[in-house]
Amino acid sequence: MYLDHAATTPVDPRVAAAMAKCLTAEGEFGNPGSTSHDYGAAAATLVEKARAQVAASMGAQADEVVWTSGATEANNLALFGIAEHYRESGRHIVTSRTEHKAVLDPCRELQRRGWQVTYLAPDGDGLIDPAHVAAVLRPDTVLVSIMHVNNEIGVIQDVAAIAAICARHGGARLHVDAAQSVGKCAVDFAGLGVDLLSLSAHKAYGPKGVGALLVSRRERRVHLRALQFGGGQERGLRAGTVPTHQVVGMGLAFELAEEDREAEAARLTSLREHLWQGLEALGGTFRNGAAARSVPQLLNVSFDGVEGESLLAAVRGRLAVSTGSACTSALQEPSYVLRALGRGEVLSESSLRFGLGRATREQDIDTALAVVKEAVSRLRRISGA
Amino acid sequence: MSYSALTLRYFETAPGAGVLDGAGILRGAAGSPAWGTWVQFNLQVSCGAIQAARFLAFACPHTIAVAAWVVEQAVGRDLQITLPEPVEALSKRFAVPIEKRGRLLIVEDAWRAAAGR
Repeated sequence: MYLDHAATTPVDPRVAAAMAKCLTAEGEFGNPGSTSHDYGAAAATLVEKARAQVAASMGAQADEVVWTSGATEANNLALFGIAEHYRESGRHIVTSRTEHKAVLDPCRELQRRGWQVTYLAPDGDGLIDPAHVAAVLRPDTVLVSIMHVNNEIGVIQDVAAIAAICARHGGARLHVDAAQSVGKCAVDFAGLGVDLLSLSAHKAYGPKGVGALLVSRRERRVHLRALQFGGGQERGLRAGTVPTHQVVGMGLAFELAEEDREAEAARLTSLREHLWQGLEALGGTFRNGAAARSVPQLLNVSFDGVEGESLLAAVRGRLAVSTGSACTSALQEPSYVLRALGRGEVLSESSLRFGLGRATREQDIDTALAVVKEAVSRLRRISGA
Repeated sequence: MSYSALTLRYFETAPGAGVLDGAGILRGAAGSPAWGTWVQFNLQVSCGAIQAARFLAFACPHTIAVAAWVVEQAVGRDLQITLPEPVEALSKRFAVPIEKRGRLLIVEDAWRAAAGR
């Protein structure tokens, strides 16, 4: 049973059908940059329609959408692009310890190149206090990067408050990694006052290999230095032929996700709480992240008295979930996100992330509960807990 | 992480998991849950021979499987301070990745702690 929708989602059949039409001779296979003939013009029309769909679902303008290969590239373009463009204004960046590696690793690379990075610690619920952001801003701060929805624990950060702080500062642009937000919670790019926002298609029933960076063209226009060159596409910010089928898939996926969002939120909140209540009854269970400030699709739970790798192995084959451990080799490492929340190493490793999705039904939750209860009880017997 | 069929069989069934009660039980442990691996052996010995053996483990599947196999093999043998099979041979038998072989030394230490009492 698949309960790992925070890792990826299956492509919606309607999305797959729309994508397929852009691949073959019968469809819009032309190069969207070749607008001198009908083939290219037809593809360009679809690309711009998709751009408008993404923008509309995110409260942005179409000309603020820059296509990328995914959220990782969008994050890299935002961080390196801002850092390089504003390098004469300052070399200080603020982020948090619970960001995705696609933000943390570029920050570490920027540190290696001479930038200074402040890593904010979340509270025990995984939330970043906007006042802490204000406290660490410096005259030379050029960028603040805070994710919207955390990929491990699902908490939603108060990016509107952080955006207001950055606007008051004047020189600090706010980048938000919103890879986990689409279809899970409302995103209003203009309303939030965010300067840059990273998006991914495959977390929202779209295809892998495509994403976007929203770059504000509001009164406080944001400038970026491009990271790749060779064609001038995407207003020179991201060279390379735009993959029509990929962006068409993303555009439709985002439109569909936004249509279903509120109804899905109510349904999945109910299922998630049913799951948590069942797990809580086991005893020795700890919910990670602020329940009242989380997206409905995600539940992260630590289990006392069981070893993390054994827990994952015990449910594997019957339940597809993620563990709190990052398996970087044969040895697993405790989740750095849960460690940042103050969980000890053992509880950080003995956690499971349940990612609910469109296909999840109540009987799936009941099955998952039975599998996890059996595994935890057995491992606790073996450990004598 | 992938596991051999033997590892999965002993991890999933964990024969011999538990404790032995009563007088004269030899009990020894090594490691710590805080380190990620803890193993305890319980041995019932009569006339120098192991009559019953049990284990507890807070550990990865490889370690649980090895501990389960060790207690299964131990019953009926003369009590010895060494494991029924050396750590190197156990590593091969259960296809333990080289990064995790240190965990088998905890199994060995727990056995020595119990058998040496």
